Amino acid sequence: MAAYRPEPDRDSRPWWEGVARHEFAVQECEACGLSRFPPRAFCPSCRTEEWRWRQVVPEGTVESWIVSHQPFLPGARDPYLVVMVRLAAVPGGLVYGNWRGEGPPEYGLRVRGAYTEVGEGLTLVDWEPAGAGSVHRAGNPPDR
Amino acid sequence: MTNVPKRLLDIRDRTAIAGVGYTPFTKDSGVSTLTLACRAVLAALEDAGLSPDDVDGLATHRVGDSAAPTLVAPALGLADLTWHLDQFGGGSVSHAVVGQAALAVATGMAETVVCYRAINARSEFRMGGTGRGVPVSPEVQYQAPYGYVAPPQQYAMYARAHMLRYGTRAEHFGRLAVTQRANAAKNPRALMRTPITLDDYLAARWIAEPFRLLDCCLETDGACAVVVTTAERARALRRPPVLISAAAWGGGMSHLSGPSADPTVTAAAALAPRLYAQAGLGPRDIDVAELYDCFTYSVIVQLEDYGFCAKGEGGPYVDSGATALDGALPVNTHGGFLSEGYVHGMNHIAEAVSQLRGDAGDRQVRGAEVALSTAQPGYILPATSALILRRP
Repeated sequence: MAAYRPEPDRDSRPWWEGVARHEFAVQECEACGLSRFPPRAFCPSCRTEEWRWRQVVPEGTVESWIVSHQPFLPGARDPYLVVMVRLAAVPGGLVYGNWRGEGPPEYGLRVRGAYTEVGEGLTLVDWEPAGAGSVHRAGNPPDR
Repeated sequence: MTNVPKRLLDIRDRTAIAGVGYTPFTKDSGVSTLTLACRAVLAALEDAGLSPDDVDGLATHRVGDSAAPTLVAPALGLADLTWHLDQFGGGSVSHAVVGQAALAVATGMAETVVCYRAINARSEFRMGGTGRGVPVSPEVQYQAPYGYVAPPQQYAMYARAHMLRYGTRAEHFGRLAVTQRANAAKNPRALMRTPITLDDYLAARWIAEPFRLLDCCLETDGACAVVVTTAERARALRRPPVLISAAAWGGGMSHLSGPSADPTVTAAAALAPRLYAQAGLGPRDIDVAELYDCFTYSVIVQLEDYGFCAKGEGGPYVDSGATALDGALPVNTHGGFLSEGYVHGMNHIAEAVSQLRGDAGDRQVRGAEVALSTAQPGYILPATSALILRRP
């Protein structure tokens, strides 16, 4: 199981419920159509409060990554890789996850989300090169 | 886009820093942050030639890890403060605290404000996250489950983004660490004074690739304080006054906030123009820069965002030797957080004061008249703060 389990808030709870169904949703502003992530009440562009969920295929490109060695969380032992992905569906949307590729990431590599069951009903979104398989059981990175 | 205030009262050079105070920097102070705060406040007042009875304002920043002004005041027998500030926040607001004090003094809300930061960052609350709880913030749920939780990881992520985009290399980070250690070797207060080489840097263990141990600041127990008063009053006191020429904070959007997301640009890029405008100065007027160095990379990106070199050129700029004590822009003359110690921004301000008073000893930058001192540049929260100080 994850060393840290996400604590959904009132803005994000439906999003996490969607992830558990292997659905990746972003918000779309009813007024101006801007997509945004993570979930929050107001459109930062037109400052209106009406929005709808839009299901998207979680796709993007690799912006950066780290290989974490220091055990910052209890239970973390082996080095693990965290990738920062620029979401295709959201302007300026940067998201994080563990890396599920065979080799190391590359800058600008096209990637897609990989739903990972980490136990006790929790699903997380990891990332892998676009074109690989899609559902994973939890293992290392990070030890959860 | 930069917002330059149109109705700003002219506060340039109306207030001054009249004294600085430190506790020793250690790995285990053995005392409470309240004790550290009191010691640093009294040391700063002693330096200024003032008594605690002269104090009518206290200010600090903290993240639930230190003594509030409302605790320090009664501990020092300070009755009826006319102004105080307990600013929630990490390094990004460190210089805003002194800026707020300058506003309070300039408007007459207070006449003598002591700004302090007291922290047991090694023995009690480790900023690095090891053994510490996960912070409460809406973004955490999208990061911590993946083991992405601590500032060294976050800054490593941005550092690699810069490396990938601009060709910044490990050797550039290493050169910075080596240069700052050389400065610390000339600073009796510094925790780490043994010189290091680029090979030492490259051989250091990984923390979070691309960061090695020597990319990361020291986690330190200690406190530092500065006394802010009117420029007029400061001139009559014991030490040479250092004028506050500009104080700015803010910087707007972060990479989490909007469509302009660029992980290689910090809030300092938006803040710098209004900081310089307030002082009536530009990057070329800066003689010495104390740039927030929670990690090597934070200095490199600030060299760009404060206009000392072009975007992407921060690494080669450091590699050229420009930031050494004898370079065009001496940076982190005390050794910085990487080698002097980590007092969350306040020790950068105190070092800038020391340089401008000309009492920095072996590490004194000759003829230093104008200094820039900066806060965490706004990666972790979408805001930063900075001061321009000068000799009268």
